[in-house]
Amino acid sequence: MTGTAIKIANPASQSRIRTIISTIGLSGVGAIAVIVALSNVIARVPAGAVNAGPPSLAPDSHYAFGTDVLGRDVMSETVHALTVTFSSAVLATVIAIVIGAIAGFAAVRAPLRLGAVLRAVSGVLGALPVLLLAVVGVGLAGHDFAAVAAGLAVSPAIFNRSFDRAIALARSRHAEYARATGIPGITLLRRDLVYEVRANFINVTGRALASTTIVLATLGFLGFGAAPPHRDLGLMIAAARPNYLDVWWPALFPAVTLTMFILFARLAAALDEGEPP
Amino acid sequence: MWRDWLLRAAQLIGSIVGAVVLASLLATLSHPAHGLWPFLTALCERIFAAVRGDFGLSSVTGVPAMASAIDMMSFTFQLLAGGAVIALLIGIPLGILLSASRALRAAAPLIQIIAATPVFVAALALIWIAVRVLHWSGISQASALSWVDLVRSDGWSAALQAFALPALTVGAAGAASVQLSIRRAAAVAWSAPYRSGLRMMGLGALDIDLHYALPEVLAALLRDLGEIALALISATAVAEWVFNRNGAAILFLKSAALGDWNVSAAALFLFVTIALIASFAGGIASQLIVPEDRP
Repeated sequence: MTGTAIKIANPASQSRIRTIISTIGLSGVGAIAVIVALSNVIARVPAGAVNAGPPSLAPDSHYAFGTDVLGRDVMSETVHALTVTFSSAVLATVIAIVIGAIAGFAAVRAPLRLGAVLRAVSGVLGALPVLLLAVVGVGLAGHDFAAVAAGLAVSPAIFNRSFDRAIALARSRHAEYARATGIPGITLLRRDLVYEVRANFINVTGRALASTTIVLATLGFLGFGAAPPHRDLGLMIAAARPNYLDVWWPALFPAVTLTMFILFARLAAALDEGEPP
Repeated sequence: MWRDWLLRAAQLIGSIVGAVVLASLLATLSHPAHGLWPFLTALCERIFAAVRGDFGLSSVTGVPAMASAIDMMSFTFQLLAGGAVIALLIGIPLGILLSASRALRAAAPLIQIIAATPVFVAALALIWIAVRVLHWSGISQASALSWVDLVRSDGWSAALQAFALPALTVGAAGAASVQLSIRRAAAVAWSAPYRSGLRMMGLGALDIDLHYALPEVLAALLRDLGEIALALISATAVAEWVFNRNGAAILFLKSAALGDWNVSAAALFLFVTIALIASFAGGIASQLIVPEDRP
């Protein structure tokens, strides 16, 4: 904290940097979506095909990511696992946005102080680690509902943020002015929601996508996520774990792919989180 | 200020009651009663029992669920405490460094690469480095740090090695939250309008930072203590799993996998209580530093 600390970056240049970061992130997520869409073309062998090559072969010119102990082509397996992770993460993100962001925004205008009750319940759920909440969801509903459980687990934090933002908007000067001029509450809600979606949709979606991907991958790694033969990236890393100190490539490539996916989602949200939103 | 503290205490009590209801609901859902009325009756019985600390018996071991969870808390607390110390040691300097100048603030997005790494990937990477580069061999020992191990001349090194990697994993996850909190508060403090006024009054930048900005940043860090505790708890669950440690988090995961919901509910209640108390204590401490910080 020296004298240089008080030099405040020019807001215009900050905004430009954010736009560049967000564009890089969106391009990355778009590229991953293309890989997922073309997974059956890019992957040389079907998911789970054993003896596609010699077992535990190190990466070379023929097998770019090598093979695992069962002779599965790690590159093909990584592409298939990315498809499973991506599809589940998108579903979980949609759930998180609907139940978290949109419901949180609308709850402020709910009758009979229902919004305050929902905020209190969500506050308690928000005091639970997201991962443990998702584990409870999978334990109660089963492995097939891992994406739903991840989406629901991420929702309380998004709900709370969205609710608090909507409260601030409801108490703002433009809201007071609108009420004084007789504009109905529902019209005001619709106006605030439209402005909010326009301003923050990519940011909220990017955050939710990153969070749900981390939760889903961790669930997969812990054995609560996708079940074989539909392996996600977390389960693929868990399967490579017993031998990864010697045969490192079946764990490394899925781990790098997973990290890149999360990174692009965070960049798409322009998550320079140290700065005020 | 006393009114605010009472309000915070009331919020804490309300949240703990909510956590009791949530844990009871989890235990009741696992043995569903047929019909709404029997379900509500069973839920009420569970809630009254849970208020007395009785979460029922483990369906696997037959031991009281809360006793099982408390027994396993020793290693989890060690890991949480060790992780918290590491998080503060790494996170505070990192947060200050990344907020210190325009050039470093511009470099802050690079930290995203580290923040994007899931905890289990980081833990596996740490094990690989420890075994392959540092040639450590004690990382698979499954026990909490005990005084007996530490006192034995040949035991402390292995015991610390066994503890260091899980604590580092948890600490790294916590450090990400700590630096985030500091950067968020610093960004607000650096752009506060009072700075230019104080400069015009003749105060140096260092004086302004030390007497005005630093308390605000510290208060913000304390205010975010609940979020930091949540990050540490989540990382502890993963670290205990990866490093095969017998803690409360692994007890929760195993009991959830086995459908032993009484134990899961007890462990979950303990974790929520830790997070809520951290949030409450952080809120009170932040208000002591910056009195106008309202709940």
